Order: sequence, then C-alpha cells, then structure tokens
Amino acid sequence: MLRSLYPLLCLYVLHVPGRPPQGANRGEVVAGAAAHEVDAALYRERVRAMFYHAYDNYLAHAFPYDELRPLTCDGQDTWGSFSLTLIDALDTLLILGNVSEFQRVVDVLQEGVDFDIDVNASVFETNIRVVGGLLSAHLLSKKAGTEVEPGWPCSGPLLRMAEEAARKLLPAFQTPTGMPFGTVNLLHGVNPGETPVTCTAGIGTFIVEFATLSHLTGDPVFEDAARKALKALWKNRSDIGLVGNHIDVVTAKWVAQDAGIGAGVDSYFEYLVKGAILLQDEELMSMFLEYNKAIKNYTKFDDWYLWVQMYKGTVTMPIFQSLEAYWPGLQSLIGDIDNAMRTFLNYYTVWKQFGGLPEFYNIPQGYTVEKREGYPLRPELIESAMYLYRATQDPTLLELGRDAVESIERISKVECGFATIKDLRDHRLDNRMESFFLAETVKYLYLLFDADNFMHNDGSTFNIVLTPYGECVLDAGGYIFNTEAHPIDPAALHCCKKQKEERWEIEDLMREFYSLKRNKKLTLKRTTDKSEGESQKPSVDTSSEDGRIKTNLKNNTKRKISPLSCPNQPFNSKLEVMGQVFLDNT
Amino acid sequence: MARRPELLCGAAVVLGCALLVVLKVSCSRAKDVTMPAKIPVNFFSSRSPVIDLFRGQLDYADHLRQDSEVVLYFFYAPWCGQSIAAREEIEHVASRLSDQVLFVAVNCWWNQGKCRKQKHFFYFPVIHLYHRSFGPIEYKGPMSAVYIEKFVRRVMTPLLYISSRSKLLDFLSNYEPGVLGYFEFNASPQPPGYLTFFTSALHSLKKDYLGTIRFGVITDKQIAKEVSLMRSGTVYLHRHVNNSLIYPSEVMNYTAENICKWALENQEMLIRWLRPHGGKSLLLNNELKKGPALLLFIPFNPLAESNPLLDEITKVALEYKNCNKSQAPEPAQHLRESDSPDFGSVVPDARTKLTETFSITEYPCCNTVVLPQWHSISRTHNVCELCVNQTVGVKPSQVTVPQCNFLEIEAALNSFYLQERTFFQVASNTIECSNFLSFYSPFSYYTACCRTVNRGLLSLDNSKKTIFQNLEVAFSSHGKKVKKDAQSSIPHIEDRNYFVPDLHVNGTNITGLSCRTNKTLNLYLLDSNLFWKYAERLGASRAARVKEFAAIVDLKEETHYILDQNQAVVRSTLENFIQNFSIIYSPLKRHLVGDSSVHFHVQHVITEVTTNTFHEVVLLSEKDVLLLYYAQWCGFCASLNHIFIQLARFLPPDNFTVARIDVSQNDLPWEFMTDRLPTILLFPQNRKDQSVKFPEDFSVTVPNLLKFILRYSSLPSSASDLESCTKECLQKEEIALQQRRTSHLEREIEKLRSEVSAIHQTHEQLEAQLSESRAEERRLQQQKHTLERQRKTLQLHSEHLQTICEQKNKELEEMAEKLQELADASENLLKENALLRVLVASMERKLENKDENKKYVLSEEMLSNDNTGTIPTATDRLHDERVDINIDTRVTEQSKENRTE
Repeated sequence: MLRSLYPLLCLYVLHVPGRPPQGANRGEVVAGAAAHEVDAALYRERVRAMFYHAYDNYLAHAFPYDELRPLTCDGQDTWGSFSLTLIDALDTLLILGNVSEFQRVVDVLQEGVDFDIDVNASVFETNIRVVGGLLSAHLLSKKAGTEVEPGWPCSGPLLRMAEEAARKLLPAFQTPTGMPFGTVNLLHGVNPGETPVTCTAGIGTFIVEFATLSHLTGDPVFEDAARKALKALWKNRSDIGLVGNHIDVVTAKWVAQDAGIGAGVDSYFEYLVKGAILLQDEELMSMFLEYNKAIKNYTKFDDWYLWVQMYKGTVTMPIFQSLEAYWPGLQSLIGDIDNAMRTFLNYYTVWKQFGGLPEFYNIPQGYTVEKREGYPLRPELIESAMYLYRATQDPTLLELGRDAVESIERISKVECGFATIKDLRDHRLDNRMESFFLAETVKYLYLLFDADNFMHNDGSTFNIVLTPYGECVLDAGGYIFNTEAHPIDPAALHCCKKQKEERWEIEDLMREFYSLKRNKKLTLKRTTDKSEGESQKPSVDTSSEDGRIKTNLKNNTKRKISPLSCPNQPFNSKLEVMGQVFLDNT
Repeated sequence: MARRPELLCGAAVVLGCALLVVLKVSCSRAKDVTMPAKIPVNFFSSRSPVIDLFRGQLDYADHLRQDSEVVLYFFYAPWCGQSIAAREEIEHVASRLSDQVLFVAVNCWWNQGKCRKQKHFFYFPVIHLYHRSFGPIEYKGPMSAVYIEKFVRRVMTPLLYISSRSKLLDFLSNYEPGVLGYFEFNASPQPPGYLTFFTSALHSLKKDYLGTIRFGVITDKQIAKEVSLMRSGTVYLHRHVNNSLIYPSEVMNYTAENICKWALENQEMLIRWLRPHGGKSLLLNNELKKGPALLLFIPFNPLAESNPLLDEITKVALEYKNCNKSQAPEPAQHLRESDSPDFGSVVPDARTKLTETFSITEYPCCNTVVLPQWHSISRTHNVCELCVNQTVGVKPSQVTVPQCNFLEIEAALNSFYLQERTFFQVASNTIECSNFLSFYSPFSYYTACCRTVNRGLLSLDNSKKTIFQNLEVAFSSHGKKVKKDAQSSIPHIEDRNYFVPDLHVNGTNITGLSCRTNKTLNLYLLDSNLFWKYAERLGASRAARVKEFAAIVDLKEETHYILDQNQAVVRSTLENFIQNFSIIYSPLKRHLVGDSSVHFHVQHVITEVTTNTFHEVVLLSEKDVLLLYYAQWCGFCASLNHIFIQLARFLPPDNFTVARIDVSQNDLPWEFMTDRLPTILLFPQNRKDQSVKFPEDFSVTVPNLLKFILRYSSLPSSASDLESCTKECLQKEEIALQQRRTSHLEREIEKLRSEVSAIHQTHEQLEAQLSESRAEERRLQQQKHTLERQRKTLQLHSEHLQTICEQKNKELEEMAEKLQELADASENLLKENALLRVLVASMERKLENKDENKKYVLSEEMLSNDNTGTIPTATDRLHDERVDINIDTRVTEQSKENRTE
C-alpha cells in the first residue's frame, strides 16, 4: 500500500507547476511572495516512498545477498555474506514506523544469518554495519513490540548474534600494538599473509559498538580491545598533534601521512566524540579536543578542511571529500554550531553545483577530481543537516533535504532501486546500491523531515523496564548514532552495568536522605539554642567534600572546564540562520 | 572463412563487433554495468508560456532573443530542488508578462546540450535578462514571483518618465535613492547623453540587483527647474538628509559605468532593505557590526503601487536622520507645501511638523557621568546626567551646529564637580536634578540629574522600573532642585495608557535624534514574507496574525529590544521605541526570547522551565529546586536524560523539584545564565539567592547528585526565623513537618508497593526462568541417565574385551613357553648334532683304521640306529608349532579388530 503512495505523490508534484496562474488581485500576489518553505510533511512521505522502493526491490531481487544491484536487478555479496542490506535497514524500518516488518526481519535474521563462514571480511565494515545494526535492533526490539526475554536489555537473541559477530573480529586485534588488522577470516582468524596496513578509521572505530557490547553482556574484552587500539593511535600521533591516513599495525609506522578529516580518518574522530558522550568519558573527549585544535590550526582554510602532511602541516591536497561532510554534524554535538554551519554552507554549494557530492572536489579549481567523480548516495551531508536542523531549525537545512530528495529521485532512481552515481559530471549510473543508502541516507533524510520522530526525543518521554537487577529508565532520548546510523540508547548501557554498581549506594543514600530529614528536625531544635554551630558547618563540609563525593576523575586542576560540556550559544546565533554567518567578535 | 583478402578487414570488424556483443552479454552479470544518464524531458509543461529548451539548445535560445526586446533566460538543472521550486514562480511571472517578455528556460545540465558545453554555472537556477543587446543582467534576488516580476519590469522600463510635478514629488519622496536626468527631446530625436543615461540605469541593475537606486528622466523644462536642473543632459542624485548632487561631468567621463558608480558611491542610505540571498553571507554581520540596528519586519509587495506603512517608516527615518535644522526643508516637502492643497491632505501633519521643527532651536547636549568613588555625591548616587542648556534665541554664534561641543561638556563637568554641595542626600530610588549657571557663558546653564543605578539580582523584579524618558520635563528652568519619582511620571513604552496621551508632546523629539545620541541606530527593512524567521528568532510570536515586527539589535552589548507585539508598528510607536532606546537609562528591557510552546513532560517527572515560568518555578517555589541547564543539540546533555529522570523518581516531589531549562530556546537574565552546558544548579529552599553549582569535575551520576543535594539542600532554616517565632508558629511548623512526614511516609509506602510489585514481576520472571531451568535440569538428568547407560554398556564391552585380551595373553604366554621348549630341544639337537659330527669324524677315522679293530664297528652301528629314531620326531614337532603360531596371529588380529570397534 505504501508503495502505491509514491506515484500519487509524484502526480501531485507534477501537478503543482501546472496550476493555472491566478491572482491579478493584490491578495493573491502577496501570497505568491511568501517564502517557499519546504513542506516537511510532503518530503517525509516522499522519503518513505524512496525507502520502500529500494527495500522492496532488495527483498524481491537480491535477498539473501548483501546488496542489490539495481541496474541488473539481482544481488551480490560485498562485505561478507550476511544479508547486509537487511541488517542495515532493520532499524530504519522501525524509525519509519513499520513494526510488523521489523519483527518479521528479526525472525528471518535469527534463523538465516550465520557467521561461521569461510569469508574474509573487513573488520571495520562488519563492526559498523553488522554488529552495530544488530545492537541497535536489539535495543529497539522492545519498542518494536517484539517479545523480549527476561533480562532484556542485558540479554537477547540479537545481542547474542552481535556478540558472536564481534567475537569473530577479535582475532584481528591480536597485534603487538593492539591496533587491529583490516581484514579477518570469520572462520580461521587472521590470514597468514594479511597486510598489516590499516587505515586510521579502521583502528579507531570500535568503541561505540564494543563498549555497548561490553556494557550489555558484562564481558569487558570488547571495550578493552577498542580502547587499546584508540590509545595506540593517540600515542602515535605526530608532534603537531595530527594522525595520518594509514598505519602499519605491527610496527606502528605511518604508511600514508596525509592528515585530514575525511576518508580513512573520519570515523575515528567521530567515535572519540560519540564514545565520550556514550560513556561520559573525559579521556576520549580530551583526546578529541586536542585533535580538534590541531585540525583547526593546520587544516582549516576559509571553513574548508584540507589535507596536510601530518608531521609538517603543509597542505598536500586542497580537496574536499564527500566523506568529510559528517564534520559539521559532529561539531554541532559539541556545541560548535556557528563553525559547523559555515562549513556546512560551503559543502552545500558543492551539492548545488552537481546534485550530489563528488568523492573528491578540488576546491581551488571548483571541480571534481579525475576518477573520483562518483557519488554513491552517501549520507554524510544529510546527516550533518539533520543534526544542525535539530540545533538551529534553519530552513536552509530543509532546503538541502529537499535538494537531496529531488536529486536522488531524478538522477539515480531506476526500476529496481536507486543506483550509485558513477560520474557526477554526466550522471552516469553504476550497478550498485550500497547498504548505507537504506541504513543512513534514507534514515537521516526521514529524520530531517520528521521532527516528531521518537529518535528526536528530548527526554520528555521514557520507558521503565524492570530487570532482575532493578528498574531501568530507557528510551529517554539522547540516542547515539554509530557511523552507520544505528542508534544506541546510552541509558541501556547504564542499565546493564552502572545500575548494578550504583544500586546499593543509592539505597544507602536514600536512607540517609530520609534519616537526615529526621536529623534535620533534631538539629532544628538544637540550632535554636546555639546558632553559632551552623556557621561552622559549611567549612567542615568543604574540607570533607573530597571524601564525601567520590570520583574517578584524574584531573588535578580544579577550575578546569569539563570537556564533557558544550558552550552556550553566543547572542549572534539568534540571527545565524538562512545563510547568515557572523565573524567572531575578537 | 576469409578467402577473399579484401573482405578480411571487414570480417575482422564484424567479428570484433560480434565479440563485443557477446562480451557485453556475458558481462551483463559482471560488475561494470553502467547506465548513461536519463534523456532529459520537458521541465515546464507544454501549456506553459515558457519556452523550454530541455536539451540545452543555447544556439536556438540566442536565435530567439532577436525576436523580443526583453528576454528572460532561466537556466536550470532538472535535478535541482531550487530550480524546481523556482519553476512555479517563473511560470507565474511568465503568465503575467508573456506578451511583453520572452521567457526561455534552458536545461544547462544535459551534458550533450550546447548550454552545458558553453556555460559553467556553480548553482542553479540562474536567471539572465537581456534588454535588446544589453545583457546579461543576472537576477540575484529572492526566488519569489513578485520580486522577479518587479525586476523584469525594471529591466523593461529602467527609466521612469517624469512628466508632471506630482510624479516628481512621488519620485523624490521615496525612501530609496533616486537619480534624475534632464533631457530635452525637442532638439533632436534623441538628445545627447540620453542613451548613456539609459544604459547606466540598466547597468545599475547589474550591480544593484535589488534595484534600490531608481532612475528617472525629466523631459519638461518647468519640472526640471523644480530641482534646479537647467541644462539638458544633467544628471542629479537626490538625497534627503545631505545635499543633493549633480553629476560632475567635467571631472568624470560621462559613461554609463561612471554614472552608475557615482550614484552607488554617493547614495544615501536612509533605510536599507536586507535581503539575504540564502547562501553563506556576512550581510547581517557587516551591517550589525556598524552599531545598534533597528530591524523592521513588514510584509512587502514590490509590485504594490503604494505601501502606507513603508511611507510612515520613511517619515520616521527622515525625521530621525534629519540633523541639519538650519538647512532648508526637503525639496519634496517644499514642493508639497507650495503645491496644490490635496498633497497636504495626503500628509496631514506635514505642516505642523515643519513648524515644530523650526521652533526648536535649542538642543540640550548631554553627557553621562559615572561618579568616581571619592565624590561626595557618590554616596547616594552613582550616575549623573549632565546637560548643557543654551538660552533660547541669543546664541553667541549662529554657525555652530547644535551638536555637543567637547569643550562645553568639559566646562560643565568642571563646574559640576565644584557645585557638588548643591545636592542633598535623598532616597536612592529617585532622580535628583539641579541647574547651575555656567562660569563662562551667561547664556547657558547646566543641568545635572543624578540617580543610583544598581544592577543586581533585583533587576528582575518589576517593581524597580527606574526609567525616565524625558529629562526636559523633569527640571524647571529656575535653577531649583526638582525631586521626582521616576516611576510615577515617566511613561513606559509597554504602558499604553501613558504612551498615547504623550504622543503629541513627544512627537517631535525624534527629529535629528540620530545626531544627538551616542547610540545612533541604523535602520533596516526586512520583508516578513521572506525573512520572518529572523523575527521569530528575535522573539516574534510564531502565530502572529500580522507579520509586522520591530526590534533593536545591539550586537556589541549582546542585547536586543523588541517593540511589544501587541502594538501596531506605526509611526508613533516606532518613534517612541527609538526614543526610549536613545535616552540614557533606557526604559527598554532586554528582551528574553522564550519558548512559548507549552510542552509538558509526559510522565510529569521533570518540570520544564521556560523564560516565563523561571521566576515562578525556580525562585518563588517553596521547594528545593535542582535545575539542569541544557540544550537539545548538546550531546552531553541528552545522554544525561535518563539520570535525571531516575533522580526525579527518587526524590520526594513535595519537597523537591527537578527541573530543566532549554537555554537555547529560553533566554534568562544574565545573572542566571551559564556559559557551559550542561550545568546543574541547586536553588535551596528559603535561600534561593544562594544557588549552588554542581562541581564540573565530578561525573554526573545519581549517587553523586544525591550527595550533592544532601549536602546543600537540607540545611535548616536560619535560627533567627525561629527565634522570632512564637510558640504558636512553632506548633504550626511542627504540624507542617508532621504532615510532610506523613506524606513522605505515604509516598514511601507507595514506592514500596511499586517495588513489591516490581519484585513480584521479577519473581514471576525468575519463576519462569526457574521452571525453564527445571525443565532443563530434567532434560539434563535424562541425558545423564542415557549417558550413564551408555557408559555401562561401554564398560561391559571393555570388560569383555579385557577378558578376551587376557585369554589371548595367556595363549601367548603358553605359546612362548612352547617356543622356549622348542628352542631348548633344538639346542639339544644341535648339541647332539655336534656330538654326532664328532662321532662321525672319529668313526671315519676308525673306518680308515678298519683293520685295526672290529669291535669298534659293532658299537658304531648301534649308535647310528639311535640317531635315525630321534630325528623325525623332532621335525614333526616343529611343524606342529608353525601351525599353532598361525592360529595365534589370527586370534590377535581378531582381538585388535574388536578393540578398534
């Protein structure tokens, strides 16, 4: 039924220009002068139609292969052999509100997917797509109305599947440095002749999934592995604080020394921030803030981010990569909204030029780079638009969403789905539809246009789940999207780990709380006799403060700003919409 | 196949093609299948008046251009959202102007089209206009039909023909700068310079795409005289505030570019339209950095003949900027007055306004003095307003501009400090004024008004409205001290009752204000049809029926003020607004933008605070309030949601409020703001002024927050309170406490109940788990049984095998014994054999000695008989043993097989 909605919408859209021009009288003309605000509801439904067009075709032609080939209407295995598109699209189904299909797919996956296969799989891709997808599906399964087993969210079939998949990846981490190999055989572990060169993102993009796994299952092995890899990268950064593109995981020598924020590095920075938010981890955040300084110092020019030599800081490539477009979204998460908006507007001009973002865009020449003209329907710019729209409600961001929907529909829609754009200069199409199109591009587009989606929950609604360990507050918003747009509920992590640790402490404190009430009445009577005792009390308290409030933080400086905070927005941010930017007041 | 050599080549080609086809077919399942871009189709409907060249036929487009005087090109890309959105607008314009203008849309994306090959656009759509051969003029304004139409009309008629005095008046009274050219058409068909002037008008549209500078042409000598243009070919730039200019044709060459440049450079910006184009721009940054700005949002229709609201605003702006009083009044007004009386009715108050303008010849020149600490007055007052007043009429010099003279202020300051004794101590909430004569000039006297400005917590309190508007009213001219309560007599802008009667008194005060105040405003207009978003961000209500809004934005001070939205944006309110801003100790209050949409926390656990409810919920509440400052976009805030919800569920709601405020949607007074998010503040009960901040370097967890609350919240109310309390009140308090205790206990019971139910549920879960595990156990036991049985059979089997093994071993041992026996026997035989050999040898020797002894022969025969009897028996036994061994090996093999089985 939903599929049939699409042609109707199309008809409607086509019908609009044909509307007979009317209104010689003044009132009509004024109405025509009104700003063209993007009709979010209309575009939301068009995105939904896009999703089903791609999804239904995948099921019809490509399942159980990894991906759909839209030009030949068949499927192929790309990153393994685990029906990748289905796993990736699972939580998008729920975000679109299709509960029944979600439940059906969960059953299909539980029976059909097997990780005991002799396949060489990318550690990075398997982690973000498969482990991430299964984890988010597990955490959302209650919301989707599936029967969850007692002990959820700390146990469940999808969680066990995710754990199984992640365990297959662990052998890759057995290196002298702790940094993982890029590829692992799911059955035999690391192949003997495996290359030790891994890209930076392939090393630093595990903490979100692995920490979630460790918190949910209670097995710290995952989080430890991810942290060890992160620390190794941090240790090997250059003197000026940058990291390169590829590193030898055995010798810890940088093989590709281009430093930037795009391909090969991107999600490393993303995961430092998201890991810090998810785990309330100051260490990760201070790492990111250090990198951020170096990135601003060396790679930022006129709100573009270029590629520089990681030791010298000299510019090596003045290009913009479509993968870099996640950066504004990341900045908005930590409150650097004006910079984010400025960079976003730069990137948006590239979209306007081509109807998509080329993999590489030469900034001085203002054109694509040879052999990097493709646009595989990547989500990054739309992702940033979604985050920024949450922060600013700027109509420009909806305009990007509109442009994206129009471009993708008009350029890449074919009979069997949506095809990757092979060359943005002439809009030639390639026979591929990457799984991130359904997992990310469509999801972020939908969330951009659907302001009331439960993913945008600001904490005004929540669910109470009774676990054998106590009651947990879940679904209170603040979802962290992994780099494949699979949402993780930070409350669930807390529920399975911290909750148990904190429970008795809270009980004690509450008892003290109530007894103090009684004490208060006692002291009340006493203080009527001697009022001096009161004035002494605060000083006693401050001296014992460190003893009373225990903390696991290591920083000694007392007046330091917590890295786990955002700056409040300056006054001029009120007017920073619709393309207006302000220079710093300095 | 290739017998004929001349066909070989062709055959090879055919073969090649065939191969290619085959390859292509076989590769269709391989990776590199691509598809060329779709063939472009019609972008505009066929019924549309727009000619759609969707294959990018630029040459045909150029050809079409020759047919029409004015042509609009719409270069689009079919995939571009903006082009799609603009399409409708273009069609709308085309339907209205299709008889005069040719509309051509060109697909400039199709890569086989001419347009794509020749033009290189960075964005779409691009609108180019041609006026005959002149062009392209790019349109960069808003993609809105009315704006496009207006612009097209401007290109169609770049010059306004001014044929009458009234038209001239209209032209000159407009707020936007105007350029007039005077050309006599009687002399020749086209007077010299006219074409250049015409081109310069078109040229200006290229640079000034908003079309702010209007170009007019006068053909009548009489009318030209009105603006003192005598010679044909002169160009005149009209300015309202400054002197109008005549184009200096002797200095600059008379070219279109130069005229245009000259006009742009010398134009006067009375009010500017701000029309952000949507792309990245520093427009607002650049304009607002110039100083405080009054932003006026009005719905604007560029096609409308008249816009009364805009006219009013223009008048306000003129008044505000009109500094030079001694100058002759505006040409426009001058003309209006001498013109027919019906113009007077258009502007009913023009005359009166003018007379008022002339009557005022003195301007107080004021300066604010912040008193240093040593000054005796500073004990009671800390800020004084010092004004220099000059006696009416008798000015020492006629030439001086009525602006503040630095020397005068300096002198006034000196005498002010000397005259300090004239002030008496008074209550701090009043303004005290005093006049004293200048030492140097008998014609001027000074006025000083002092008051205390106290910026503190209390400023939130509405009762302290230390506002005054009009100092001149406050003092009498006789050098008396005037004490005045500011609150009682000074109208406040938000107070309509005051404001309306004062209208006429204050009406003139705005005249030339921009030069008198040190807070000069720049005036800007924004079309609220297009840019209402900015108004919303400044605090205009989203649901406003009339989209009119005025706000003063002061970027440096990081504040803004808004005109109360209940008031209509009319001349008088605007004047008051500007005035209130300009005076020192402005009565305007920093506007706090608040989120008006009421969104309840669904489960009512956390109280959502807004700008409007902050006071009530946080400061006035009788509870301890834990307030979280957050913003929805801040990742660190959002991941704390669950912790706060949990905390709120723990704390008793009758003593505690867990609240939060989204500070990106809700402004607060400075003293309650924080610079980092999230921030957690505790406003303890009874001591709301002593809020405590949750230390930043502690992680935000439920136990930490509980400890924090425990430490700071429950301090008993101060002893002095209780001392003043009588027994009765003590009793009351006790009762209250008891009530609280009971309610608390009730709550606890409820909580316990819910806990019990939770435990029940978990119990059920556990039971389910238990039964499951029991079933599992049973299954396991069954398995165990079967395993044991299997084990037993295996044991039996092994025992069996062992016995067999033993048997075999025994047999083997027997065999070994037999073998041993055999070996012994053979050894004996060997020995016997050796003996026999010895015997034989000795016999042989004896045989040789036959003759010697016959007795020996007998004995030898007997021996040989013995030998033949024993030997066969030995061989028999050997044979027997071999058979036995054969059987043995067969048995051992069998037993081996058994074991392996």
